[in-house]
Amino acid sequence: MDQVAVTAFFQTLVQGLLTGGLYALIGTGLSLIFGVMKVINFAHGDFLAIGMFITLALFRTLNIDPYLSLLVAAPVGFALGYAIQRFVLTRLGDRLGEGSMLATLGLGLIISNTLLLGFGAQPQSINVPYAIKTFSFAGVQVSIPLLVAGLGTLVVIAGLNLLLYRTELGRAIRATAQNPLGAELQGVRTANIQAIVFGMGVAFAAIAGVLLMPLLYAFPTVGENYTTKAFIVTVLGGLGNLPGAVVGGLVLGVIESLGAFYVSNNYRDAYGLIAFLLVLLLRPEGLFGKTVKRV
Amino acid sequence: MTASSVSVARPRALTFGNVWLSAVILAVLFIYPFVFGKTMNFGISTLLFAGLAMSWNILGGWAGQTSLGHAALLGIGAYTMTLLATPERVPALFGGPVAPWWGTLIGMALAVALAAVWGALTFRLRGSYFTLSTIAVALVIRLVAINSEWTGGSEGLFMPELPRFFGLDLFDRRVEYWLSFAFVVLTLLVTHLIRRSRLGYALQAVREDEDGARALGIDPTRMKLIAFMISAALTALGGALYAIYLQAFEPHTLLELPISVQIALMAIIGGRTSIQGPLIGAVLLATFGEVFRNVFSSANLLIYGVLILLVTLYAPNGIMGLFARGGQKLGTAR
Repeated sequence: MDQVAVTAFFQTLVQGLLTGGLYALIGTGLSLIFGVMKVINFAHGDFLAIGMFITLALFRTLNIDPYLSLLVAAPVGFALGYAIQRFVLTRLGDRLGEGSMLATLGLGLIISNTLLLGFGAQPQSINVPYAIKTFSFAGVQVSIPLLVAGLGTLVVIAGLNLLLYRTELGRAIRATAQNPLGAELQGVRTANIQAIVFGMGVAFAAIAGVLLMPLLYAFPTVGENYTTKAFIVTVLGGLGNLPGAVVGGLVLGVIESLGAFYVSNNYRDAYGLIAFLLVLLLRPEGLFGKTVKRV
Repeated sequence: MTASSVSVARPRALTFGNVWLSAVILAVLFIYPFVFGKTMNFGISTLLFAGLAMSWNILGGWAGQTSLGHAALLGIGAYTMTLLATPERVPALFGGPVAPWWGTLIGMALAVALAAVWGALTFRLRGSYFTLSTIAVALVIRLVAINSEWTGGSEGLFMPELPRFFGLDLFDRRVEYWLSFAFVVLTLLVTHLIRRSRLGYALQAVREDEDGARALGIDPTRMKLIAFMISAALTALGGALYAIYLQAFEPHTLLELPISVQIALMAIIGGRTSIQGPLIGAVLLATFGEVFRNVFSSANLLIYGVLILLVTLYAPNGIMGLFARGGQKLGTAR
């Protein structure tokens, strides 16, 4: 392999890993929700879209830097998720399995169509000087916003780990995931914990939306694509397995990037789907570990 | 209504709706073209979606397996029929364009084959895995349709000149209405027949308690597979009729996730454990969609979102479930 080919390979790999980081962030939110509540959130991508449109709206009206929108998008996402768990999903009672799927599907349609009414169907982007900046490392060009997104993901996931394993709240979350009834008997207010977890999952999706905004166009149904990506990541890593979701995200990013570069860019979205189907059929417990590890 | 018409012996109604209700609905649909001759397009698309929702319900309601990938089966019916009827696209193997009715049958056979493989692989798994797999399969088929030159890519296909069907012009809106009507009658008939058959009882048992059904000697995987194959055949038939109605279509109109979701939601909102629920759901949502199209323009799926949320929270058996409960209350009040 000559020098150019090697550089091209690393270029593609780095691109894939950084995109994969974002997928990991989206997948972690979905997996966290599944791990604690056994709810598959079909509105996950739409929460990402909310993050994108908050960023867009703040930039258009107040000229706020996209990354500063995190301070708005994350709390809004958390509050939204908290409220949805508290006021919608808990009402489903013992019909949670099937019911949550339909309820989140409905919520997703409500979100995307409300965005459509508010912002129109036209894809919109924001113009910031650093959006197209790159820096070069050993001949490999890295896009600055993509790098920021990758680092942002790292910070959020590290923060989540600290929260889960170093705090009292984290202990309560893990207890609720393992055995809700037992946790309740130990004095954990599981209803509140579940709402917090749903809030965190939605906040992660909204954060991913903010981090994506300088890179992509926003349109109301953009979430559909990311809901699918989140499912792929989660299934690759094993439903409810958080470290799995991180690795699953990176794997998906790299598969897509390498496939698009070496096979055909037109089928970029297909490589992940095929990997997803193969894992679903051959190893439904995910790529890693025999048993599904919970939170 | 007399008290005797309410079944007291069964503590939990598994199915709602009888033959008489079907007859009344069909009578209304029969009169439609004579009264609303000017809005035939609305009538045809509503009927087609009603038939598709009932086809979906054989798997989604009776077998309890929620598919969000039925657009793939719809697309297979539409694309197969159209590609085989188009002289410049039909594979040399056929030696010339294939009449749409034979093309439709081939499309149905392909859909059944896909369902057989797909179901055999995924029905081993329980829970949400089947639903997740349906989304992925439909998306892969969509990507193939978009990127293949043969299928017309993202531009899609134009319907070629079609030979006459028993002397009938397939592009005549009245002919299309009666074909769609026949499609609804067929799906309704199949559902009624399933209800009265061994398969129907087995499916209800599997849906309510899979382990219990297995203990009774029912093979749940086999039952779900049969339901999936029937559902696939009918959905592909609906797809071929929809293609003729559209006359030109692209992957976006037939293969996107929202199409699958729309079909599923019509059945669920109407009532998936009932016979006529999907039919009523389709008519209701089509009417709502038409009304709100003017108010919300392209955001007409908003009403689907609101309705599915309300139904999930307050009427788990759909609109038909509400009727059945209301009827039972009336009955016991007497």
